[in-house]
Amino acid sequence: MISHRSITKTILLSTIVFLSFSFGNIVMAQDGKALFSQNCAACHAIDKKLTGPALLGVQDRWTDQKKLYSWIRNNQAFLKTGDAYANNLYNEYNKTAMNLFPNLTDAEIGAILKYIKEWKPAVAPVAAGGAPAPEGDSTLLFGILTLILAIIAFTLMQVNSNLRKLSDDKEGIHAPEPVPFWKNKAYIAFVTVILFLVGGYYTTKGAIGLGRNKGYQPEQPIYYSHKVHAGINQINCLYCHGGAQDSKHASIPSMNVCMNCHMAINEYKGPKFYTEEGEEVNGTAQIQKLYEYAGYTPGKPWDPSKAKPIEWVKIHNLPDHVYFNHSQHIKAGKVQCQTCHGEITNMDEVKQFADLSMGWCINCHRETKVQFKENGFYSIYEKYHEDLKNGKIDSTKGITVEKIGGTECQKCHY
Amino acid sequence: MTMKKLFIITALVITGAAIISCNDVQRKPSNVYMPDMAYSRAYETYADHSNLAELGINYTNLPVAGTIARGEEFPFPLTKDALGDTANYFASKQVKSPIDSLSKSEYTETERLYLINCGICHGTKLDGNGPLYKGGEGPYPAKPATLVGDPKYAAMPEGQMFYSVMYGKNLMGSYASQLNRKQRWQIIKYIKLKQAEAKATAAPADATAKN
Repeated sequence: MISHRSITKTILLSTIVFLSFSFGNIVMAQDGKALFSQNCAACHAIDKKLTGPALLGVQDRWTDQKKLYSWIRNNQAFLKTGDAYANNLYNEYNKTAMNLFPNLTDAEIGAILKYIKEWKPAVAPVAAGGAPAPEGDSTLLFGILTLILAIIAFTLMQVNSNLRKLSDDKEGIHAPEPVPFWKNKAYIAFVTVILFLVGGYYTTKGAIGLGRNKGYQPEQPIYYSHKVHAGINQINCLYCHGGAQDSKHASIPSMNVCMNCHMAINEYKGPKFYTEEGEEVNGTAQIQKLYEYAGYTPGKPWDPSKAKPIEWVKIHNLPDHVYFNHSQHIKAGKVQCQTCHGEITNMDEVKQFADLSMGWCINCHRETKVQFKENGFYSIYEKYHEDLKNGKIDSTKGITVEKIGGTECQKCHY
Repeated sequence: MTMKKLFIITALVITGAAIISCNDVQRKPSNVYMPDMAYSRAYETYADHSNLAELGINYTNLPVAGTIARGEEFPFPLTKDALGDTANYFASKQVKSPIDSLSKSEYTETERLYLINCGICHGTKLDGNGPLYKGGEGPYPAKPATLVGDPKYAAMPEGQMFYSVMYGKNLMGSYASQLNRKQRWQIIKYIKLKQAEAKATAAPADATAKN
């Protein structure tokens, strides 16, 4: 009796499933993918829990397909029928109300479900190449070559002097015993001069380099790739560093700015990346590190008050006796970020691009033309505006920053 | 004897050259002449503020509750809904925008802000297909709202949009830290203007199609 009943049930079920499918097949025009992206994708992914549950295998989770259809069409009405599974689901997702879709036809829902059922995860892109080939630094090679040539020259000179002594002896000319080369004054003078030059060069370089950090590339608490964010994914610099247009500081984004995207993006699927030492970095593990700081568990609502700040290491640092203001350069001066920070969009780990020396600042202030036109900030320079109009100032040369006081000491030091 | 000395000198020079020409990744900052002039003695932004209370310094980095910056709009009257509650989200429909229109310069500035902060997901054409989604190819798994072209968002009142921008909605986070109140209202006005523009261009097309 029991088996008989279950068989009827199975037959009934499969008929419904079959019917719903054949329905979907009849209306071939229904593009399940388009419908899914239009109606469902804002809250559901197929293989990932977002605002709503992951939809893979949704038909297996609902024993009665009719119920599933009415749930999709009007979940609020369906909840009122008191269905236990639906109500549990609703409570599990913090009573986030699903949108109503009263206009979806059975065929359309069928097409969406078919799309979900036939969905296959995208094949991960084959990583291009292995570890990046170490860039050939030819300085060492040239150094060794020079050294070898110098040694050969030195040996030849020794051989030459020995041969001369031999020939002199043969011809009976009495030559004094040759002085060994480390006692030879010419050699000693030569080596001293070389040492002085080389030593002087490195001492000067080191002294000038004190407090300068061109190429400084510290390890950050999280391997955050600017190349992935600002390069591949084209996020504007000002999205995270909005302070650059409004204040002195470019501002480090607060945790909620990271979480704007990373509440949903919890795995890294892009091209492989490596530390400067050549070790491969696991992108997904880095996002996990972010979650630890944020106090966030994927799939659960995020409480920003649980977040701890990430202590990023500051790279570009001007000494305390220099005043620098980002908004003055970005907003009034309309300077691009890359002018001073280099090709950030190509840097996995950020490296200091400019040496940030005074000469570097002054040089730019001397050469850079101020964008005078359509820039309210410089409207007070009436005489310059007039001179530009009259042609007294060559408009191709324009007004440099220097002309409006950009090289005065107290502009930056006070 | 000579050869031995020669060998030692050569070896020394080679090691010296090797050490000099080895430029490793610079992970540590260089030394400075006068640290007390280079590093601020005063408390600066992003300095360690964790021990201020122990030092007896009273400092709060938030403005006093209820203060309004000069030129800033009045605060939004509704608070964020508790989890599972939607009362304020629906109530926000009634909140009126303090901004009636955008001047030409305001429009350009708002467009710039939209492209920086919103366009990345909602698309430069407001079609819900920004570079982070790319029709499902991008890293963002959820489809961003189609701001122009979806009747739901064309009908959504500005107050409700402001609620979502300020407190976040579903997977979208709060943009209160990136945009001030005025900028948020302006961006919403910009979206409404774009929607009206799309409607205006679509309507004559429909009319010609019918004829």
